[in-house]
This record gives sequence, structure tokens and C-alpha cells, in this order.
Amino acid sequence: MKTLGRIFIILFAFVLLSGLMVAAVDASGLNQPDFNGERTEFRPQGQGGEEGGLPFRPDGDRESGERGGRGGFGWIFGAVKNVGVISVLVILIAWPRSMSKKKKKAVAGP
Amino acid sequence: MTEEVSKSTSSQTRYKLWVDILIFAAFLIAMDPRSSGLALHEWLTLSMLAAMTVHLLLNWDWIIQISSRFLGKLGGLNRVNYILNWLLFVDGTLIMISGIMISEVALPLMGIQLPQGFGWRRLHDMSANLFLLMLGIHTALHWNWIANTFNRYLTQPIVRLFVAGSKKDASA
Repeated sequence: MKTLGRIFIILFAFVLLSGLMVAAVDASGLNQPDFNGERTEFRPQGQGGEEGGLPFRPDGDRESGERGGRGGFGWIFGAVKNVGVISVLVILIAWPRSMSKKKKKAVAGP
Repeated sequence: MTEEVSKSTSSQTRYKLWVDILIFAAFLIAMDPRSSGLALHEWLTLSMLAAMTVHLLLNWDWIIQISSRFLGKLGGLNRVNYILNWLLFVDGTLIMISGIMISEVALPLMGIQLPQGFGWRRLHDMSANLFLLMLGIHTALHWNWIANTFNRYLTQPIVRLFVAGSKKDASA
């Protein structure tokens, strides 16, 4: 029962934050493709849209997009890059901290 | 009694370690949707909401303790940790909600169609990159715990297993 209550609190916080974010994005007009109503969206001629074909999507419709273009060992590069970023931060933060702890211990003596 | 408490703490720590390893691995896969594919990316990140909830539940006592002492006397590191954890929660929520708004696989499969927009896509990318940096700082601040627990529950049992194996071979 206690755990259920805690889960409810976490999900409530998540839903509340999500609602605030959606409201903020909608209010700011950040999600409008045409910000002032003046700029028209670029559409290549003869490719779908109102002429009956597939609707043109400005981003993400290419084969090399998020749909799995980087096959083979491409994922290793992505994973190594992300682990690298985290490792650099760990070295920059954790290493000086452990060094200062060792120094403090050495100063305190046996 | 003390032994029971120690056993329960030990199993909870082990559980925490495995949940954290799972979340970390899932995050690495989710961070590269071009390789994992959009379907895996979306379903994995949606299921990470459950994993994150478990992570928070396992650290609930710490959250409550620091929340009640935040405005009073509290060590600097705990304060930084607490603020960083809130930022991670807010950013994680932004990643999920922006991901849901630009979903091309999971939501359409559930029969939900949302209007696509550049704003959510941009927010999704930005928040994911920010999350990576904050996760790095979060990992660094908990590095001692990670190293000690990893050593205690993963490295040492494996080493013991090999030592026991070699002793058996020597006695045979």
C-alpha cells in the first residue's frame, strides 16, 4: 500500500510536469511550423502533398534517418561516444574528489 | 535481528545495482535510434518510465530525508545531488513527453495520432543531449558507490568463482 502510494506520487509528478510542458510549448508557439503566418513551408514540386501522394515531411523521411540507416557496427560508435562523454565527466569530477580525500587521509595520519 | 537487517540491505543494494545497470544500458541503446531502430527506441524509452519509477522507489528514503532537510542544515554535496536529481527528473520528463509528441511507431500503433511539429523534435534532441551530460555528473557524484558495489557484487564473486575452480583443479 505504501509502495502504491509512492508510485502514485511519482506518476502524479510526471503527469503534472508533462502537462506544464505541453502547456508551455503550446503557449510559446514553439511547435508551430509557421511562426508568423508569413513563412511558407518548403515543399518540393511533384512530391505528394495536396496532389494525392504521400505527405511531404521535412525531416526524418530519409532511409538514413532514425529508421535504421547506420547498420553494422555503427551502434558501437554511438555507444562509445556516449560512454566517452560520461567517462570524461566521471574523470573530471570523481578523480579530483578521490584525490582530495586521499590527501585529507594522509594529513590526518594513521 | 541485525543480521536480518544487514541481509535485507545487502539484497536491496544488489537490486539497486542491477536496476541501475539496466537503466544505463537501456539509455545507451535509446540514445542511438539510428542504430537501434525507431520501434525499439520508442518502446524502450516508454518502458524506462517503469524502470525510473523503480529507481526512485529504491531511493525513496534518501529523497524524503533530503527533502525534509533541504532548507535546513544539509551538506553541500547532498544539496547539489538533490538539485541535480530534480533536474534529471524534469529533463527525463521532457524527453518522454517530447518523444511521445513526435512518436511515429508506438502511439500510432495504439491508434493515437498527434500533430507533428519541429518544436517537439528540437526539444527532444536538446533534452536528450542535456540528459547525457547530467547523467555523467550524476554518475561521477555516485562513483564511489558504483565502484564499491560493482566490486562487491560483481567482480569479487566472479574472482571467487575462478579461485574456487582453480583450487578444485589443483586438488584433483
